[in-house]
Amino acid sequence: MNGDTRARLFGYSRAFDLPVVAAVSGAILLLLIITPLLIWLLVMTGKVSNIHRRELMLRYYSWLVLTPLLLLPILAGAAWTILGVGVLSLVCYREFARAVGLFREKLISLLVAAGILAITFAVIDNWYAFFVALTPITISIIAAAAILQDQPKGYIERVALGVLAFVLFGSSFGHLGFFANDPHYRGYLILILLCVEMNDVFAYISGKTIGRRKLAPNTSPNKTLGGALGALLFTTLLVCALGSFVFAGTVLASWHHLLTLGILISIGGQFGDLMMSSIKRDLGIKDMGVTIPGHGGFLDRFDSIILVAPAVFHYVNYFVGIGPEQARRIISGG
Amino acid sequence: MQKWNLKPARDLGMPLNKSLRSLQRENGLIATAFHLAFWTCVKVYLKLWHRLSVRGEHHIPATLPFVLVANHSSHLDALVLASRVPWRHRDQTFPIAAGDVFFDSPMTASFAAMMLNALPMWRKKCGPRDLQELRERLVSEPCAYILFPEGTRSRTGAMTRFRPGLGALVAETAVAVVPCYLEGCFEALRPEWKLPRLKRVTLHVGEPVTFNEVANDRAGWISIAETMEARVKRLSGVVATATDQASSGPA
Repeated sequence: MNGDTRARLFGYSRAFDLPVVAAVSGAILLLLIITPLLIWLLVMTGKVSNIHRRELMLRYYSWLVLTPLLLLPILAGAAWTILGVGVLSLVCYREFARAVGLFREKLISLLVAAGILAITFAVIDNWYAFFVALTPITISIIAAAAILQDQPKGYIERVALGVLAFVLFGSSFGHLGFFANDPHYRGYLILILLCVEMNDVFAYISGKTIGRRKLAPNTSPNKTLGGALGALLFTTLLVCALGSFVFAGTVLASWHHLLTLGILISIGGQFGDLMMSSIKRDLGIKDMGVTIPGHGGFLDRFDSIILVAPAVFHYVNYFVGIGPEQARRIISGG
Repeated sequence: MQKWNLKPARDLGMPLNKSLRSLQRENGLIATAFHLAFWTCVKVYLKLWHRLSVRGEHHIPATLPFVLVANHSSHLDALVLASRVPWRHRDQTFPIAAGDVFFDSPMTASFAAMMLNALPMWRKKCGPRDLQELRERLVSEPCAYILFPEGTRSRTGAMTRFRPGLGALVAETAVAVVPCYLEGCFEALRPEWKLPRLKRVTLHVGEPVTFNEVANDRAGWISIAETMEARVKRLSGVVATATDQASSGPA
């Protein structure tokens, strides 16, 4: 392992090398400090009821825990980021498996979890070929191993759920982790996470302000076309503004690339949200879990990232590459 | 297109501390791994420390559901019974444990749920709804229960009366109820002792009984409790007779 790799994996001293990372981190910190004040002002002016205030404060307390959980690994180094994404993948898989009942299929569950661990290894190893190969390999193993039970009844259901779970929580989240193999990963990840979360906020505010026509009333009755278009507009603007700093000096800093990335992040985020709403409606449940007070489960909070991560990864990888100069296979060698 | 039969976890949406104490708790991969490790250790411990031997093991049903009932005089009892259940049924085997002893604090509740796979029975506030929940789960999941119908550990080692709650779980069902007699557990770990002593333990397993024709009412429950008490006593009688014969044999 050379010095550059070690610095990327564990070099917390370089956390604020990119000015945009320092600026966004500072802005988030400031936002966390002034939020209770804003809520208090809203209550004082009578714009928010007491019941709504309690709900807002519950969500605020959750963000008080979630923000350092998300931000600190990214600032601390690529190794912690990749491990953090691996843990998030496993937690989200657990919630999904308990919601759809896949957790009762111990063999399939074990294979999905092993696939997620293997993806995490491939990511930290910076072994892209293995990372790509793991998706068809894991799917094949799940399809083959499910035969060993010699129970054809329910075979399609078991295998399909296992494959869906692995693709969503192993492969898709793995792309988020793979960004950490680029020296500028802090900027990329902060851009994605912040814009995806703000996409939800923009959709909510736009929907409340200009939302009339329902977007998908059977899937998510509260979402409106106005909300979706508002989110698309404001998220794209945010991506353009942040992206011009994050991608400065690369071909992606041009306006048409930033515009494309903004549209990808906003549409991907909204489809990720609607995808999880469809799953919950299909199952007849409200939330995927109760881990995060005021939000539901981890999957309810991070559903928007699932489709965004691979889309942005392949866009960036195609035009500028992910860590093209970085050492490959740092653990496995070869 | 045919609708898939997706069944969310029974305890979905419950906070962890509530789920650990719930009769609806279901095991995932992590709990299974803990059970595998814990029960392997228990099996080795019982074999080496207590020289556990089993008579009539073939009476333990190969398929679920079933209920193992036994005399109760020691904390070793549930360990001995559960250790004899086949591995494939391990995650569906639930010792029914006293809620006020095993599920009182978060630490003991975690141990009881994650290691023993126990379900709580709150002795002072156990109502018909709890029994109904247990009964429904026994039949619909299906699963196996380890139950001590005396309700508490005997302080003298002598068997006490079986309570009718057992009947409420199995009356008018085809669930096999297996009588078991635990010999030596009281001498190995009495209720007042903290640590077990080096004593032999023997498990005697009797023939399973079903109660599908016994009415699911108070009279039926009492009759089931009496039947099973007599069956367990008969097993203990076999032990006593064998001991008597051995002691009165040629010197």
